[in-house]
Amino acid sequence: MNRLSFHDEIKRNKISSYLLIGIILFVLLILTYAIAFSLGGDYFFLILIIGIPISIAYVLIGFYKSADIAIKSVNAKLAIGPQYRQYHNLVEGLCLASGLPKPKLYIMQNQQINAFASGRDPQHAIICVTTGALEKLSKQELEGVLSHELSHITNYDIRFMTLTAVLVGMIAIISQLFLRSLFWSSITGGRSRENNNVILMIIGIALAILAPIIVALVQLAISRKREYAADSSAVKFMRTPTGLIGALTKIKNNTPMKVSGAVAPLFLAKPTKQKEWFMTHPPLSKRIARLERM
Amino acid sequence: MITWILIVAVIIVAATFLIYYNRFVALSHQIDNSLAQISVQLKKRSDLIPSLLASVKGYMKHEKKIITEVTNARKALMSAKGVEKKMKAGNKLQSALKSIFAIAEGYPDLKANQNFLQLQQELSAIEDKVAYARQYYNDGIMSYNVMTHKIPGLWFASIYGFKPKEYLKIPEAAKAVPKIKF
Repeated sequence: MNRLSFHDEIKRNKISSYLLIGIILFVLLILTYAIAFSLGGDYFFLILIIGIPISIAYVLIGFYKSADIAIKSVNAKLAIGPQYRQYHNLVEGLCLASGLPKPKLYIMQNQQINAFASGRDPQHAIICVTTGALEKLSKQELEGVLSHELSHITNYDIRFMTLTAVLVGMIAIISQLFLRSLFWSSITGGRSRENNNVILMIIGIALAILAPIIVALVQLAISRKREYAADSSAVKFMRTPTGLIGALTKIKNNTPMKVSGAVAPLFLAKPTKQKEWFMTHPPLSKRIARLERM
Repeated sequence: MITWILIVAVIIVAATFLIYYNRFVALSHQIDNSLAQISVQLKKRSDLIPSLLASVKGYMKHEKKIITEVTNARKALMSAKGVEKKMKAGNKLQSALKSIFAIAEGYPDLKANQNFLQLQQELSAIEDKVAYARQYYNDGIMSYNVMTHKIPGLWFASIYGFKPKEYLKIPEAAKAVPKIKF
């Protein structure tokens, strides 16, 4: 039932995922060409021949391994052991309510209350919660949080969000590398390489400008709407908003945690302090107010 | 030109027939599957009973009545045929279990027993899961029935012979308010 009524949402998420892959691949290929052009000289074709497969492989790995990368980047561990029985039971119950296969469950060591879901589709999904969430939330509140994360899985938000985190994160790294190599070559480089330096500099500056713009665009696309949608389908699974309201209220009193900006949009509530218009999540008070009206 | 229009029209009509048939089949399967899930959970519940009774017996020597009640309810659940009957038996077992857990409150030693606590947690999780599975089943029935009652689903339902399905009702025993004795 839920899947049928959220059909458009799912379709949109799938399309924007493929679009994102296309754009990133395009950017990477242009980059390869630019690097080959500026550094190559005689090795122009060699760099192209090496660079293109690497770009394609990178995007493919980003698509198939995105969940693993997200897990590793926050240093999460599989939730195994009797102390996680309740966590498993709650997810199993919600999976029965939503008709989803059970995702793999992870925990990350952190005192803050937070959670995220990742993966390319419901069959390869994972859910990760912080140890703080397991300790500080009541059973019903934890269930509300897990229900919200499962909604991201049914709506295919995870595919798009995780791809964003992995692929856009890479662009940020490349632009950093470029700027640094620029810095080093300006120290060590002689006059003979001045020409190359100019091109490198242009690429570096272009990347440095481009990366934040891409991040911002993607974050706008992820949009706060997805969070509201996930909140409302979370309520649909649980048939009561009480748990999620309680959890969000507790999160409001959280101090922000430290994670890389790239994985920030994945989380239940924004983990870092961001400027208002760069926000990946709607303000908690607005989400709570909406839930209270349900 | 006209032949082309005819061909396209035929393709569209055939596709509609196919899509609706597949939708009905997919939903029916979803419903059957969620029904099976309910049975799975009920089975798990009855499987946990023997170890629960084993952990309780040492402490509750004077509560023979409730223990036999649980044993009988489990037997009834295991022999029940059909999900409606299984649900009914499952509910009876659940209420018997509730009395056991209520009585256990008076036995501090038992309440400190790790094994007992684990079983208690597991059984209450199963209760939640049964409720969720039933909710999903009824959700499935709802979208199925809406499709069989709306146009054009209504026409296709009668062509293919898909009939509206029954919701899973909460058995009478569960709805009854428990009597409080003083």
